[in-house]
Amino acid sequence: IPDFGHKYYLQFSTEDYWTGENAGSCLATVLYPRKKSPPVVSIKCSHTKDQKEIQEEDNRLYQRIRQQTKPITGSNIPDSYGNIEPALEPAWALAVAGSSSIMWEKSTEDLGYFLAQVKSVKQWMRKDDFLEFDYTVLLHEMPTQEMISCHMRLTWLPGHPLREKHFCAPQKHRLEEGSGLGSGSATGLSEERGTNF
Amino acid sequence: HQVLRVVPSSQEELQRLQELQGLEHLKLDFWLAPRGLGTPVDIRVPFPSLQPVKAHLEANGVSYSVMIEDVQELLDEEQREMTRSSRRLPLSTSAFNYRVYHTLDEIYAFMDMLVAENPDLVSKLEIGRSTENRPLYVLKFSTGGSNRPAVWIDTGIHSREWVTQASGLWFAKKIVEDHANNEGVASILDTMDIFLEIVTNPDGFAYTHSTNRMWRKTRSKHLGSICVGVDPNRNWDAGFGGSGASGNPCTETYHGPYPNSEPEVKSIVDFVKAHGNIKAFVSIHSYSQLLLYPYGYTTTPVPDQQELHELSAKAVAALSSLYGTDYKYGSIITTI
Repeated sequence: IPDFGHKYYLQFSTEDYWTGENAGSCLATVLYPRKKSPPVVSIKCSHTKDQKEIQEEDNRLYQRIRQQTKPITGSNIPDSYGNIEPALEPAWALAVAGSSSIMWEKSTEDLGYFLAQVKSVKQWMRKDDFLEFDYTVLLHEMPTQEMISCHMRLTWLPGHPLREKHFCAPQKHRLEEGSGLGSGSATGLSEERGTNF
Repeated sequence: HQVLRVVPSSQEELQRLQELQGLEHLKLDFWLAPRGLGTPVDIRVPFPSLQPVKAHLEANGVSYSVMIEDVQELLDEEQREMTRSSRRLPLSTSAFNYRVYHTLDEIYAFMDMLVAENPDLVSKLEIGRSTENRPLYVLKFSTGGSNRPAVWIDTGIHSREWVTQASGLWFAKKIVEDHANNEGVASILDTMDIFLEIVTNPDGFAYTHSTNRMWRKTRSKHLGSICVGVDPNRNWDAGFGGSGASGNPCTETYHGPYPNSEPEVKSIVDFVKAHGNIKAFVSIHSYSQLLLYPYGYTTTPVPDQQELHELSAKAVAALSSLYGTDYKYGSIITTI
């Protein structure tokens, strides 16, 4: 759109992360204004699962984690060979959900991400019913090919939106370009971003 | 099961421990039996007996420590170690496990076995040495002739893309099998040679095993920077330094100080130029499921754009016909 930015029209289908089953399809428009601000997104999806089914699955995941006798800890999920221990699958699942929030926030018209690996996970036990996890996740950035390390703190209770707070290590190539301040600044050590979704 | 350690410091404590030995129903397993004062006593305690044993010790003021929290965990770990090491010695390419990732040594051993098993078809060439002086090996598949037109395939140019080196191993075996069964690529071998470089970046590959699973580049060092490595796939002399590459040595797409600065890349260039008859050049990467042809650095189409596009369409259709695998195709710049 001349003098304004780029508008994208998208049609895509979604699938269940574990089973690969079709989970619905979406129609969306994404508008990137010329200046670097977050895009304007409008999206409409049809879901193959109903609310009740989703709730039941959430509860099953929640119970599976609560039933563990010790706080969950782990590292390198999946390992170098692509394997995930069954006992760590729930922690992995929450990492996928939480890091999608990070990726949503970090993505731009020219930069995209994939979750490459959970470097470490540690569960914090709480007095209330919420689950709380500390993660270090590795995001694969495209097209730069960089592996970005992010620290993520995640809390969840079924029926409530997943909440996460994160801080990603500053990016090397931005440091080189000399522009000191911005979201990638090395001085921003106390900076934290997060979303509820 | 847990393993508890007690160091008896008095005759009474020693007696308590000896008593425990007599209690058959607890099914205790003394790894180190009570002998005297000051010598450790190690007891493997099955889960149902943990409570009573600990209670007994505590009630009598006998201090203990938990030496092993979970014996099963250790056993599982050991099992994993053993399955990993048991595959260190396949004696033939038929016994080789194509479904697991291998180390550099295992891959080099595979190459030698393949050549030994098929001396009339396969030979191993050394086209150069890496920065850390590792040999750069290329397998040549040929049914004869002299400097026949040839296809080049490389895998593992980016060391962290482990599925590509693994695929290269599989390709090698497949070519040999097809030839033996006179199907698949056998007809190509009637008139053409195939060159296959399985570990195109051996320094990087060794590094992914020893230190950093996510290492992509070579391991060359550069004056003026503490950062190591050049992206070999930005080091070619085509649109060098253009968009998609970085001039910063600390980045994953650093193109290097000048084209072909990396021995891993220069060796290939020298080989292809010296050969003079390479008709197709295929480089394998992961992940994505894309079939791509030039260019990546400009939107200007290649002269044979139409032919390449039609060829890609056919290749992707053939691939899909087997198991429905879905690949997108096009020029690099329009597709990625």
